[in-house]
Amino acid sequence: MEEDQSKSRTKDIRDESLDPITEKKQAAMLERLSNLHQSRLQESISRKTDNSSPLESTKSFLDRFSEAKRSIQDELDRCRLVSDPESKGRLKSDLEQLSMSIAELEKLVSENSYFLPSYEIRSSLTSISELKERLENANSMLLPKKKFAFKNKAAKKDQNNATSTAETGASDSVSVDIKAPETILPEKLNIQIRDSPGFRNRVDAVLVKHFKSSGKGDFTLSDLKSCEVRLTGRLRAVFIHRLKSCRVFVGPVLGSILIEEVEDCLFMLASHQIRIHHARNTDFYLRVRSRPIVEDSSSVRFAPYHLSYEGLDKDLQDSGLDGDTGNWGNVDDFRWLRAVQSPNWSILPEDERVSIVKISSAETCSEDS
Amino acid sequence: MGLLSIIRKIKRKEKEMRILMVGLDNSGKTTIVLRINGEDTSVISPTLGFNIKTIKYDKYILNIWDVGGQRTIRSYWRNYFEQTDGLVWVVDSSDVRRLEDCKMELDNLLKEERLSGASLLILANKQDIQGALTPNEIAKVLNLDAMDRTRHWKIVGCSAYTGEGLLEGFDWLVQDVASRIYILD
Repeated sequence: MEEDQSKSRTKDIRDESLDPITEKKQAAMLERLSNLHQSRLQESISRKTDNSSPLESTKSFLDRFSEAKRSIQDELDRCRLVSDPESKGRLKSDLEQLSMSIAELEKLVSENSYFLPSYEIRSSLTSISELKERLENANSMLLPKKKFAFKNKAAKKDQNNATSTAETGASDSVSVDIKAPETILPEKLNIQIRDSPGFRNRVDAVLVKHFKSSGKGDFTLSDLKSCEVRLTGRLRAVFIHRLKSCRVFVGPVLGSILIEEVEDCLFMLASHQIRIHHARNTDFYLRVRSRPIVEDSSSVRFAPYHLSYEGLDKDLQDSGLDGDTGNWGNVDDFRWLRAVQSPNWSILPEDERVSIVKISSAETCSEDS
Repeated sequence: MGLLSIIRKIKRKEKEMRILMVGLDNSGKTTIVLRINGEDTSVISPTLGFNIKTIKYDKYILNIWDVGGQRTIRSYWRNYFEQTDGLVWVVDSSDVRRLEDCKMELDNLLKEERLSGASLLILANKQDIQGALTPNEIAKVLNLDAMDRTRHWKIVGCSAYTGEGLLEGFDWLVQDVASRIYILD
Protein backbone atom coordinates (compact mmCIF):
# COMPACT_ATOMS: atom_id res chain seq x y z
CA MET A 1 0.00 0.00 0.00
CA GLU A 2 2.51 2.47 1.17
CA GLU A 3 4.82 1.53 -1.58
CA ASP A 4 2.08 2.14 -4.11
CA GLN A 5 1.39 5.58 -2.81
CA SER A 6 4.98 6.56 -2.87
CA LYS A 7 5.22 5.34 -6.42
CA SER A 8 2.25 7.41 -7.55
CA ARG A 9 3.66 10.40 -5.82
CA THR A 10 6.94 10.17 -7.58
CA LYS A 11 5.07 9.83 -10.81
CA ASP A 12 3.06 12.96 -10.07
CA ILE A 13 6.18 14.82 -9.34
CA ARG A 14 7.75 13.74 -12.57
CA ASP A 15 4.65 14.74 -14.55
CA GLU A 16 4.69 18.17 -13.03
CA SER A 17 8.33 18.61 -13.70
CA LEU A 18 7.81 17.75 -17.36
CA ASP A 19 4.73 19.89 -17.77
CA PRO A 20 6.24 23.13 -19.10
CA ILE A 21 8.03 21.35 -21.91
CA THR A 22 5.11 19.20 -23.03
CA GLU A 23 2.83 22.18 -22.85
CA LYS A 24 5.06 24.05 -25.19
CA LYS A 25 5.18 21.14 -27.56
CA GLN A 26 1.41 20.75 -27.50
CA ALA A 27 0.87 24.41 -28.22
CA ALA A 28 3.22 24.32 -31.14
CA MET A 29 1.52 21.24 -32.50
CA LEU A 30 -1.94 22.76 -32.20
CA GLU A 31 -0.82 25.87 -33.96
CA ARG A 32 0.62 23.91 -36.82
CA LEU A 33 -2.55 21.87 -37.13
CA SER A 34 -4.79 24.91 -37.20
CA ASN A 35 -2.56 26.53 -39.80
CA LEU A 36 -2.83 23.47 -41.93
CA HIS A 37 -6.60 23.42 -41.55
CA GLN A 38 -6.86 27.08 -42.50
CA SER A 39 -4.81 26.67 -45.64
CA ARG A 40 -6.81 23.63 -46.62
CA LEU A 41 -10.07 25.50 -46.17
CA GLN A 42 -8.79 28.36 -48.24
CA GLU A 43 -7.67 26.04 -50.98
CA SER A 44 -11.02 24.34 -51.21
CA ILE A 45 -12.84 27.66 -51.32
CA SER A 46 -10.59 28.97 -54.06
CA ARG A 47 -11.06 25.79 -56.04
CA LYS A 48 -14.82 26.10 -55.81
CA THR A 49 -14.81 29.68 -57.02
CA ASP A 50 -12.27 28.83 -59.66
CA ASN A 51 -14.40 26.22 -61.35
CA SER A 52 -17.46 28.39 -61.00
CA SER A 53 -20.37 26.23 -59.95
CA PRO A 54 -20.03 22.47 -60.40
CA LEU A 55 -23.36 22.38 -62.20
CA GLU A 56 -22.12 24.70 -64.89
CA SER A 57 -18.91 22.77 -65.54
CA THR A 58 -20.90 19.56 -65.74
CA LYS A 59 -23.04 21.23 -68.35
CA SER A 60 -20.06 22.47 -70.34
CA PHE A 61 -18.53 19.02 -70.17
CA LEU A 62 -21.73 17.43 -71.45
CA ASP A 63 -21.85 19.91 -74.32
CA ARG A 64 -18.32 19.15 -75.35
CA PHE A 65 -18.84 15.45 -74.94
CA SER A 66 -21.99 15.22 -77.03
CA GLU A 67 -20.47 17.37 -79.75
CA ALA A 68 -17.42 15.15 -80.04
CA LYS A 69 -19.60 12.06 -79.94
CA ARG A 70 -21.79 13.35 -82.76
CA SER A 71 -18.81 14.15 -84.98
CA ILE A 72 -17.37 10.66 -84.42
CA GLN A 73 -20.71 9.08 -85.27
CA ASP A 74 -21.02 11.13 -88.44
CA GLU A 75 -17.52 10.18 -89.49
CA LEU A 76 -18.25 6.51 -88.83
CA ASP A 77 -21.38 6.64 -90.96
CA ARG A 78 -19.48 8.34 -93.74
CA CYS A 79 -16.79 5.62 -93.68
CA ARG A 80 -19.43 2.93 -93.93
CA LEU A 81 -21.00 4.43 -97.00
CA VAL A 82 -17.76 5.14 -98.84
CA SER A 83 -17.91 3.73 -102.34
CA ASP A 84 -15.54 5.63 -104.63
CA PRO A 85 -12.09 4.04 -104.79
CA GLU A 86 -10.18 7.18 -103.94
CA SER A 87 -11.65 7.64 -100.49
CA LYS A 88 -11.53 3.89 -100.02
CA GLY A 89 -7.78 4.16 -100.14
CA ARG A 90 -7.94 6.63 -97.30
CA LEU A 91 -10.27 4.46 -95.28
CA LYS A 92 -7.60 2.89 -93.14
CA SER A 93 -6.13 6.15 -91.95
CA ASP A 94 -9.64 7.51 -91.45
CA LEU A 95 -10.52 4.62 -89.18
CA GLU A 96 -7.29 5.04 -87.27
CA GLN A 97 -8.09 8.72 -86.83
CA LEU A 98 -11.49 7.72 -85.48
CA SER A 99 -10.06 5.37 -82.92
CA MET A 100 -7.77 8.18 -81.78
CA SER A 101 -10.70 10.58 -81.38
CA ILE A 102 -12.50 7.99 -79.29
CA ALA A 103 -9.45 7.61 -77.10
CA GLU A 104 -9.37 11.39 -76.66
CA LEU A 105 -12.99 11.39 -75.66
CA GLU A 106 -12.26 8.73 -73.08
CA LYS A 107 -9.46 10.87 -71.73
CA LEU A 108 -11.80 13.85 -71.46
CA VAL A 109 -14.18 11.82 -69.31
CA SER A 110 -11.49 10.54 -67.00
CA GLU A 111 -9.99 14.02 -66.60
CA ASN A 112 -13.28 15.49 -65.55
CA SER A 113 -14.54 12.54 -63.58
CA TYR A 114 -13.61 14.08 -60.22
CA PHE A 115 -16.43 16.60 -60.30
CA LEU A 116 -18.97 14.83 -62.51
CA PRO A 117 -22.00 13.23 -60.96
CA SER A 118 -21.67 9.47 -61.07
CA TYR A 119 -24.66 9.14 -63.36
CA GLU A 120 -23.01 11.32 -66.02
CA ILE A 121 -19.77 9.36 -65.77
CA ARG A 122 -21.59 6.10 -66.25
CA SER A 123 -23.66 7.27 -69.20
CA SER A 124 -20.70 8.85 -70.98
CA LEU A 125 -18.63 5.69 -70.49
CA THR A 126 -21.48 3.64 -71.95
CA SER A 127 -21.67 5.80 -75.02
CA ILE A 128 -17.89 5.55 -75.44
CA SER A 129 -18.03 1.78 -75.38
CA GLU A 130 -20.89 1.94 -77.89
CA LEU A 131 -18.71 4.04 -80.17
CA LYS A 132 -15.86 1.60 -79.80
CA GLU A 133 -18.12 -1.27 -80.74
CA ARG A 134 -19.36 0.52 -83.82
CA LEU A 135 -15.80 1.28 -84.86
CA GLU A 136 -14.91 -2.37 -84.35
CA ASN A 137 -17.81 -3.37 -86.59
CA ALA A 138 -16.77 -0.90 -89.23
CA ASN A 139 -13.20 -2.21 -89.03
CA SER A 140 -14.21 -5.82 -89.48
CA MET A 141 -16.56 -4.86 -92.28
CA LEU A 142 -14.02 -2.81 -94.19
CA LEU A 143 -10.67 -4.21 -93.21
CA PRO A 144 -10.67 -7.67 -94.87
CA LYS A 145 -10.43 -5.78 -98.10
CA LYS A 146 -7.72 -3.63 -96.58
CA LYS A 147 -5.71 -6.69 -95.63
CA PHE A 148 -5.97 -8.04 -99.12
CA ALA A 149 -4.86 -4.78 -100.63
CA PHE A 150 -1.90 -4.65 -98.31
CA LYS A 151 -0.73 -8.17 -99.23
CA ASN A 152 -1.20 -7.42 -102.86
CA LYS A 153 0.97 -4.37 -102.59
CA ALA A 154 3.77 -6.24 -100.87
CA ALA A 155 3.71 -8.97 -103.50
CA LYS A 156 3.92 -6.43 -106.26
CA LYS A 157 6.91 -4.80 -104.70
CA ASP A 158 8.79 -8.08 -104.54
CA GLN A 159 7.87 -9.00 -108.04
CA ASN A 160 8.91 -5.74 -109.58
CA ASN A 161 12.09 -7.16 -111.00
CA ALA A 162 10.94 -10.76 -111.37
CA THR A 163 7.67 -10.99 -113.26
CA SER A 164 4.80 -8.66 -113.88
CA THR A 165 2.05 -11.20 -113.37
CA ALA A 166 0.90 -9.58 -110.15
CA GLU A 167 -1.59 -7.48 -112.08
CA THR A 168 -3.43 -10.49 -113.45
CA GLY A 169 -3.36 -12.13 -110.05
CA ALA A 170 -4.84 -9.10 -108.37
CA SER A 171 -8.34 -10.06 -109.38
CA ASP A 172 -8.53 -13.00 -107.00
CA SER A 173 -6.88 -13.15 -103.67
CA VAL A 174 -6.09 -16.87 -103.86
CA SER A 175 -3.62 -16.66 -106.68
CA VAL A 176 -1.89 -13.71 -105.05
CA ASP A 177 -1.53 -15.65 -101.84
CA ILE A 178 0.06 -18.55 -103.65
CA LYS A 179 2.44 -16.32 -105.48
CA ALA A 180 3.63 -14.51 -102.41
CA PRO A 181 6.02 -17.26 -101.22
CA GLU A 182 7.31 -17.73 -104.74
CA THR A 183 8.43 -14.15 -104.89
CA ILE A 184 10.92 -14.85 -102.15
CA LEU A 185 12.42 -17.74 -104.07
CA PRO A 186 14.56 -15.98 -106.68
CA GLU A 187 16.52 -14.43 -103.87
CA LYS A 188 16.98 -17.82 -102.28
CA LEU A 189 17.93 -19.65 -105.41
CA ASN A 190 21.22 -17.89 -105.84
CA ILE A 191 22.25 -19.28 -102.51
CA GLN A 192 20.96 -22.76 -103.20
CA ILE A 193 23.24 -22.94 -106.20
CA ARG A 194 25.95 -23.63 -103.69
CA ASP A 195 24.52 -27.02 -102.84
CA SER A 196 26.56 -29.36 -100.73
CA PRO A 197 28.31 -32.25 -102.53
CA GLY A 198 26.13 -35.27 -103.13
CA PHE A 199 24.43 -37.76 -105.43
CA ARG A 200 21.11 -36.44 -106.73
CA ASN A 201 18.40 -37.48 -109.17
CA ARG A 202 19.76 -40.85 -110.28
CA VAL A 203 17.98 -44.05 -111.30
CA ASP A 204 19.40 -47.59 -111.52
CA ALA A 205 22.97 -46.55 -110.80
CA VAL A 206 25.84 -47.75 -108.67
CA LEU A 207 27.28 -44.69 -106.95
CA VAL A 208 30.67 -45.03 -105.31
CA LYS A 209 32.78 -42.44 -103.54
CA HIS A 210 35.75 -42.51 -101.24
CA PHE A 211 36.48 -39.71 -98.82
CA LYS A 212 39.88 -38.67 -97.57
CA SER A 213 40.52 -39.09 -93.90
CA SER A 214 40.00 -35.44 -92.87
CA GLY A 215 36.33 -36.18 -92.20
CA LYS A 216 35.25 -32.56 -92.46
CA GLY A 217 32.84 -32.75 -95.35
CA ASP A 218 29.14 -33.37 -95.53
CA PHE A 219 27.38 -35.35 -98.23
CA THR A 220 23.83 -35.48 -99.54
CA LEU A 221 21.90 -38.33 -101.14
CA SER A 222 18.65 -37.16 -102.59
CA ASP A 223 16.04 -38.28 -105.11
CA LEU A 224 17.59 -41.66 -105.90
CA LYS A 225 15.67 -44.64 -107.21
CA SER A 226 16.88 -48.25 -107.35
CA CYS A 227 20.48 -47.26 -106.73
CA GLU A 228 23.31 -48.79 -104.79
CA VAL A 229 25.44 -46.25 -102.92
CA ARG A 230 28.81 -46.96 -101.33
CA LEU A 231 30.53 -44.18 -99.42
CA THR A 232 33.79 -45.12 -97.77
CA GLY A 233 36.11 -43.05 -95.62
CA ARG A 234 35.13 -40.52 -92.97
CA LEU A 235 32.42 -37.91 -93.19
CA ARG A 236 31.25 -35.08 -90.93
CA ALA A 237 27.51 -35.19 -91.71
CA VAL A 238 25.15 -36.96 -94.10
CA PHE A 239 21.72 -35.89 -95.37
CA ILE A 240 19.45 -38.44 -97.01
CA HIS A 241 16.25 -37.34 -98.69
CA ARG A 242 13.69 -39.12 -100.89
CA LEU A 243 15.19 -42.50 -101.68
CA LYS A 244 13.25 -45.42 -103.08
CA SER A 245 14.39 -49.04 -103.34
CA CYS A 246 18.03 -48.20 -102.68
CA ARG A 247 20.86 -49.93 -100.86
CA VAL A 248 23.14 -47.50 -99.07
CA PHE A 249 26.46 -48.33 -97.35
CA VAL A 250 28.27 -45.53 -95.53
CA GLY A 251 31.51 -45.34 -93.56
CA PRO A 252 31.74 -43.61 -90.18
CA VAL A 253 30.12 -40.19 -89.75
CA LEU A 254 31.46 -37.95 -87.02
CA GLY A 255 28.36 -35.81 -86.61
CA SER A 256 24.84 -36.78 -87.48
CA ILE A 257 22.80 -38.43 -90.20
CA LEU A 258 19.41 -37.04 -91.11
CA ILE A 259 17.07 -39.26 -93.11
CA GLU A 260 13.75 -38.14 -94.59
CA GLU A 261 11.25 -39.86 -96.87
CA VAL A 262 12.76 -43.21 -97.70
CA GLU A 263 10.91 -46.32 -98.82
CA ASP A 264 11.86 -49.98 -99.42
CA CYS A 265 15.53 -49.31 -98.73
CA LEU A 266 18.46 -50.84 -96.89
CA PHE A 267 20.86 -48.60 -94.98
CA MET A 268 24.13 -49.45 -93.31
CA LEU A 269 25.28 -46.46 -91.30
CA ALA A 270 27.66 -45.56 -88.49
CA SER A 271 27.27 -42.20 -86.80
CA HIS A 272 27.02 -40.31 -83.53
CA GLN A 273 23.40 -39.34 -84.10
CA ILE A 274 20.77 -40.76 -86.43
CA ARG A 275 17.34 -39.27 -87.07
CA ILE A 276 14.83 -41.05 -89.29
CA HIS A 277 11.70 -39.33 -90.55
CA HIS A 278 8.95 -40.61 -92.84
CA ALA A 279 10.55 -43.97 -93.51
CA ARG A 280 8.58 -47.00 -94.69
CA ASN A 281 9.52 -50.62 -95.16
CA THR A 282 13.18 -50.05 -94.59
CA ASP A 283 15.96 -51.91 -92.77
CA PHE A 284 18.68 -50.05 -90.88
CA TYR A 285 21.99 -51.63 -89.92
CA LEU A 286 23.42 -49.15 -87.45
CA ARG A 287 26.32 -48.39 -85.23
CA VAL A 288 25.39 -45.30 -83.26
CA ARG A 289 26.71 -43.65 -80.12
CA SER A 290 23.38 -42.20 -78.99
CA ARG A 291 19.84 -43.48 -79.33
CA PRO A 292 18.51 -43.40 -82.89
CA ILE A 293 15.08 -41.88 -83.33
CA VAL A 294 12.21 -42.44 -85.74
CA GLU A 295 9.34 -40.08 -86.44
CA ASP A 296 6.31 -40.60 -88.69
CA SER A 297 7.72 -43.95 -89.81
CA SER A 298 6.32 -47.44 -90.13
CA SER A 299 7.64 -50.96 -90.75
CA VAL A 300 11.24 -50.01 -90.10
CA ARG A 301 13.60 -52.64 -88.70
CA PHE A 302 16.97 -52.38 -86.98
CA ALA A 303 20.10 -54.51 -86.85
CA PRO A 304 23.78 -53.97 -85.97
CA TYR A 305 26.33 -52.51 -88.43
CA HIS A 306 27.83 -55.11 -90.74
CA LEU A 307 30.15 -53.32 -93.12
CA SER A 308 33.71 -54.17 -94.09
CA TYR A 309 36.29 -52.42 -96.22
CA GLU A 310 40.01 -51.96 -95.91
CA GLY A 311 40.79 -49.34 -93.28
CA LEU A 312 37.28 -49.27 -91.81
CA ASP A 313 38.49 -50.09 -88.32
CA LYS A 314 40.84 -47.11 -88.30
CA ASP A 315 38.15 -44.84 -89.73
CA LEU A 316 35.75 -45.98 -87.03
CA GLN A 317 38.34 -45.32 -84.37
CA ASP A 318 39.17 -41.86 -85.70
CA SER A 319 35.49 -40.97 -85.64
CA GLY A 320 35.02 -42.22 -82.10
CA LEU A 321 32.81 -45.08 -83.25
CA ASP A 322 34.93 -48.08 -82.36
CA GLY A 323 33.11 -50.60 -80.21
CA ASP A 324 29.41 -51.16 -80.54
CA THR A 325 27.33 -49.47 -77.85
CA GLY A 326 24.32 -51.66 -78.55
CA ASN A 327 22.30 -48.51 -79.15
CA TRP A 328 21.28 -49.70 -82.61
CA GLY A 329 18.29 -51.34 -80.92
CA ASN A 330 17.42 -48.55 -78.45
CA VAL A 331 15.15 -46.68 -80.79
CA ASP A 332 12.97 -43.76 -79.66
CA ASP A 333 9.77 -43.28 -81.62
CA PHE A 334 8.61 -39.67 -81.31
CA ARG A 335 5.17 -40.76 -82.45
CA TRP A 336 4.89 -43.37 -79.74
CA LEU A 337 5.61 -41.87 -76.33
CA ARG A 338 4.52 -44.85 -74.27
CA ALA A 339 6.17 -47.52 -72.25
CA VAL A 340 5.08 -50.37 -74.51
CA GLN A 341 6.96 -51.21 -77.68
CA SER A 342 6.13 -48.99 -80.65
CA PRO A 343 4.36 -50.80 -83.50
CA ASN A 344 6.29 -48.71 -86.01
CA TRP A 345 9.68 -50.36 -85.63
CA SER A 346 11.16 -53.70 -84.64
CA ILE A 347 14.42 -55.60 -84.33
CA LEU A 348 15.31 -57.35 -87.55
CA PRO A 349 15.32 -61.14 -86.88
CA GLU A 350 18.83 -62.58 -87.15
CA ASP A 351 18.00 -65.03 -89.90
CA GLU A 352 16.74 -62.23 -92.12
CA ARG A 353 19.83 -60.04 -91.78
CA VAL A 354 22.26 -59.67 -94.66
CA SER A 355 25.70 -61.14 -94.17
CA ILE A 356 28.73 -58.87 -93.84
CA VAL A 357 28.89 -56.48 -96.75
CA LYS A 358 32.36 -56.14 -98.18
CA ILE A 359 33.47 -53.26 -100.30
CA SER A 360 36.68 -54.21 -102.10
CA SER A 361 39.58 -51.79 -101.94
CA ALA A 362 39.77 -51.72 -105.74
CA GLU A 363 36.30 -50.26 -105.71
CA THR A 364 37.01 -47.68 -103.05
CA CYS A 365 39.96 -46.38 -105.03
CA SER A 366 38.23 -46.33 -108.36
CA GLU A 367 36.44 -43.05 -107.79
CA ASP A 368 38.72 -41.48 -105.29
CA SER A 369 37.81 -37.87 -104.71
CA MET B 1 18.91 -14.33 -40.05
CA GLY B 2 15.49 -14.92 -41.57
CA LEU B 3 15.35 -11.51 -43.24
CA LEU B 4 18.91 -11.80 -44.44
CA SER B 5 18.28 -15.11 -46.12
CA ILE B 6 15.17 -13.69 -47.82
CA ILE B 7 17.15 -10.73 -49.10
CA ARG B 8 19.86 -13.04 -50.33
CA LYS B 9 17.31 -15.12 -52.12
CA ILE B 10 15.78 -12.09 -53.84
CA LYS B 11 19.21 -10.84 -54.77
CA ARG B 12 20.03 -14.16 -56.30
CA LYS B 13 16.76 -14.19 -58.22
CA GLU B 14 17.48 -10.77 -59.63
CA LYS B 15 20.57 -12.01 -61.36
CA GLU B 16 18.82 -14.87 -63.07
CA MET B 17 18.03 -14.98 -66.75
CA ARG B 18 15.81 -17.36 -68.60
CA ILE B 19 17.21 -18.45 -71.94
CA LEU B 20 15.19 -20.52 -74.40
CA MET B 21 17.03 -22.60 -76.99
CA VAL B 22 15.01 -23.59 -80.04
CA GLY B 23 15.59 -24.53 -83.66
CA LEU B 24 14.96 -27.41 -86.04
CA ASP B 25 15.97 -30.92 -85.05
CA ASN B 26 19.59 -31.81 -85.76
CA SER B 27 20.71 -28.18 -85.40
CA GLY B 28 22.85 -28.92 -82.34
CA LYS B 29 21.02 -27.23 -79.47
CA THR B 30 21.85 -29.78 -76.80
CA THR B 31 25.46 -30.03 -77.96
CA ILE B 32 25.83 -26.25 -77.65
CA VAL B 33 24.47 -26.20 -74.12
CA LEU B 34 26.66 -29.07 -73.00
CA ARG B 35 29.71 -27.53 -74.68
CA ILE B 36 29.19 -24.22 -72.89
CA ASN B 37 28.83 -26.06 -69.64
CA GLY B 38 32.04 -27.98 -70.34
CA GLU B 39 30.39 -31.39 -70.42
CA ASP B 40 31.03 -34.43 -72.60
CA THR B 41 29.41 -33.99 -76.01
CA SER B 42 30.27 -37.32 -77.58
CA VAL B 43 27.05 -39.14 -76.66
CA ILE B 44 23.97 -36.99 -77.13
CA SER B 45 20.66 -38.54 -78.12
CA PRO B 46 18.08 -36.46 -79.95
CA THR B 47 16.14 -34.60 -77.29
CA LEU B 48 12.81 -36.13 -76.40
CA GLY B 49 11.16 -33.38 -74.36
CA PHE B 50 13.54 -30.84 -72.88
CA ASN B 51 16.62 -30.28 -70.71
CA ILE B 52 17.23 -27.49 -68.22
CA LYS B 53 20.73 -26.37 -67.38
CA THR B 54 21.61 -23.78 -64.79
CA ILE B 55 24.89 -22.19 -65.65
CA LYS B 56 26.81 -19.45 -63.87
CA TYR B 57 27.92 -16.99 -66.51
CA ASP B 58 29.75 -13.85 -65.50
CA LYS B 59 27.84 -12.56 -62.51
CA TYR B 60 24.57 -13.94 -63.83
CA ILE B 61 22.85 -17.26 -63.51
CA LEU B 62 21.45 -18.56 -66.76
CA ASN B 63 18.54 -20.96 -66.73
CA ILE B 64 18.84 -22.51 -70.14
CA TRP B 65 15.83 -24.37 -71.47
CA ASP B 66 16.86 -26.64 -74.29
CA VAL B 67 13.72 -27.86 -76.04
CA GLY B 68 13.65 -30.72 -78.54
CA GLY B 69 13.25 -29.75 -82.18
CA GLN B 70 11.65 -32.81 -83.81
CA ARG B 71 8.60 -31.89 -85.81
CA THR B 72 6.30 -33.87 -83.50
CA ILE B 73 7.25 -31.85 -80.46
CA ARG B 74 7.64 -28.38 -81.97
CA SER B 75 4.06 -27.61 -81.04
CA TYR B 76 5.10 -27.82 -77.39
CA TRP B 77 7.62 -24.98 -77.74
CA ARG B 78 4.91 -22.52 -76.80
CA ASN B 79 4.78 -23.98 -73.30
CA TYR B 80 8.22 -22.54 -72.64
CA PHE B 81 7.70 -19.00 -73.92
CA GLU B 82 6.60 -17.36 -70.68
CA GLN B 83 9.11 -14.99 -69.09
CA THR B 84 11.86 -15.71 -71.58
CA ASP B 85 14.61 -13.07 -71.43
CA GLY B 86 16.81 -14.41 -74.20
CA LEU B 87 15.93 -16.50 -77.22
CA VAL B 88 18.56 -18.59 -78.98
CA TRP B 89 17.67 -19.82 -82.46
CA VAL B 90 20.07 -22.50 -83.63
CA VAL B 91 20.59 -23.18 -87.33
CA ASP B 92 22.40 -26.11 -88.94
CA SER B 93 24.44 -24.11 -91.48
CA SER B 94 25.13 -27.21 -93.56
CA ASP B 95 21.47 -28.21 -93.93
CA VAL B 96 20.72 -26.11 -97.00
CA ARG B 97 17.65 -28.05 -97.98
CA ARG B 98 15.73 -27.28 -94.82
CA LEU B 99 16.58 -23.59 -94.53
CA GLU B 100 13.13 -22.85 -95.86
CA ASP B 101 11.60 -24.83 -92.98
CA CYS B 102 13.97 -23.06 -90.66
CA LYS B 103 12.85 -19.64 -91.85
CA MET B 104 9.19 -20.55 -91.53
CA GLU B 105 9.54 -21.82 -87.97
CA LEU B 106 11.55 -18.76 -86.94
CA ASP B 107 9.00 -16.41 -88.47
CA ASN B 108 6.23 -18.17 -86.57
CA LEU B 109 8.19 -17.92 -83.37
CA LEU B 110 8.82 -14.21 -83.71
CA LYS B 111 5.12 -13.54 -84.14
CA GLU B 112 4.64 -14.80 -80.60
CA GLU B 113 3.67 -11.96 -78.32
CA ARG B 114 5.16 -13.54 -75.23
CA LEU B 115 8.58 -13.50 -76.88
CA SER B 116 8.33 -9.96 -78.18
CA GLY B 117 10.62 -8.55 -75.52
CA ALA B 118 13.26 -11.27 -75.70
CA SER B 119 16.69 -10.63 -77.20
CA LEU B 120 17.33 -12.92 -80.13
CA LEU B 121 20.64 -14.67 -80.73
CA ILE B 122 20.90 -16.67 -83.94
CA LEU B 123 23.65 -19.25 -83.88
CA ALA B 124 24.76 -20.38 -87.33
CA ASN B 125 26.07 -23.69 -86.02
CA LYS B 126 28.33 -26.34 -87.61
CA GLN B 127 30.67 -23.80 -89.21
CA ASP B 128 33.41 -26.43 -89.01
CA ILE B 129 31.74 -28.45 -91.78
CA GLN B 130 33.19 -27.86 -95.24
CA GLY B 131 30.62 -26.06 -97.34
CA ALA B 132 28.54 -24.75 -94.45
CA LEU B 133 26.83 -21.47 -95.27
CA THR B 134 28.36 -18.40 -93.67
CA PRO B 135 26.44 -16.36 -91.09
CA ASN B 136 25.93 -13.66 -93.73
CA GLU B 137 24.35 -16.12 -96.13
CA ILE B 138 22.14 -17.51 -93.38
CA ALA B 139 21.07 -13.98 -92.46
CA LYS B 140 20.14 -13.37 -96.07
CA VAL B 141 18.08 -16.54 -96.39
CA LEU B 142 16.31 -15.93 -93.11
CA ASN B 143 15.74 -12.33 -94.21
CA LEU B 144 16.84 -11.05 -90.83
CA ASP B 145 17.13 -7.45 -92.01
CA ALA B 146 13.37 -7.34 -92.36
CA MET B 147 12.91 -8.04 -88.69
CA ASP B 148 10.89 -5.81 -86.43
CA ARG B 149 13.01 -2.76 -85.52
CA THR B 150 12.31 -3.10 -81.82
CA ARG B 151 13.91 -6.54 -81.66
CA HIS B 152 17.47 -6.81 -80.35
CA TRP B 153 19.15 -9.49 -82.43
CA LYS B 154 22.53 -10.75 -83.56
CA ILE B 155 23.74 -13.61 -85.70
CA VAL B 156 26.96 -15.40 -84.84
CA GLY B 157 28.71 -18.25 -86.63
CA CYS B 158 29.76 -21.04 -84.31
CA SER B 159 30.67 -24.67 -84.01
CA ALA B 160 29.50 -26.69 -81.06
CA TYR B 161 32.03 -29.31 -82.13
CA THR B 162 35.07 -27.05 -81.77
CA GLY B 163 33.46 -24.57 -79.38
CA GLU B 164 34.31 -21.66 -81.64
CA GLY B 165 31.96 -18.65 -81.56
CA LEU B 166 29.80 -19.87 -78.69
CA LEU B 167 31.16 -17.49 -76.10
CA GLU B 168 30.96 -14.55 -78.46
CA GLY B 169 27.27 -15.26 -78.98
CA PHE B 170 26.40 -15.81 -75.36
CA ASP B 171 28.45 -12.79 -74.23
CA TRP B 172 26.34 -10.61 -76.46
CA LEU B 173 23.08 -12.23 -75.35
CA VAL B 174 23.82 -11.94 -71.65
CA GLN B 175 25.01 -8.34 -71.96
CA ASP B 176 21.98 -7.38 -74.00
CA VAL B 177 19.52 -8.97 -71.59
CA ALA B 178 21.36 -7.50 -68.62
CA SER B 179 21.29 -4.00 -70.06
CA ARG B 180 17.53 -4.26 -70.42
CA ILE B 181 16.70 -5.89 -67.12
CA TYR B 182 19.40 -4.83 -64.69
CA ILE B 183 19.68 -1.26 -65.82
CA LEU B 184 20.50 -0.14 -62.27
CA ASP B 185 23.74 -2.08 -62.06
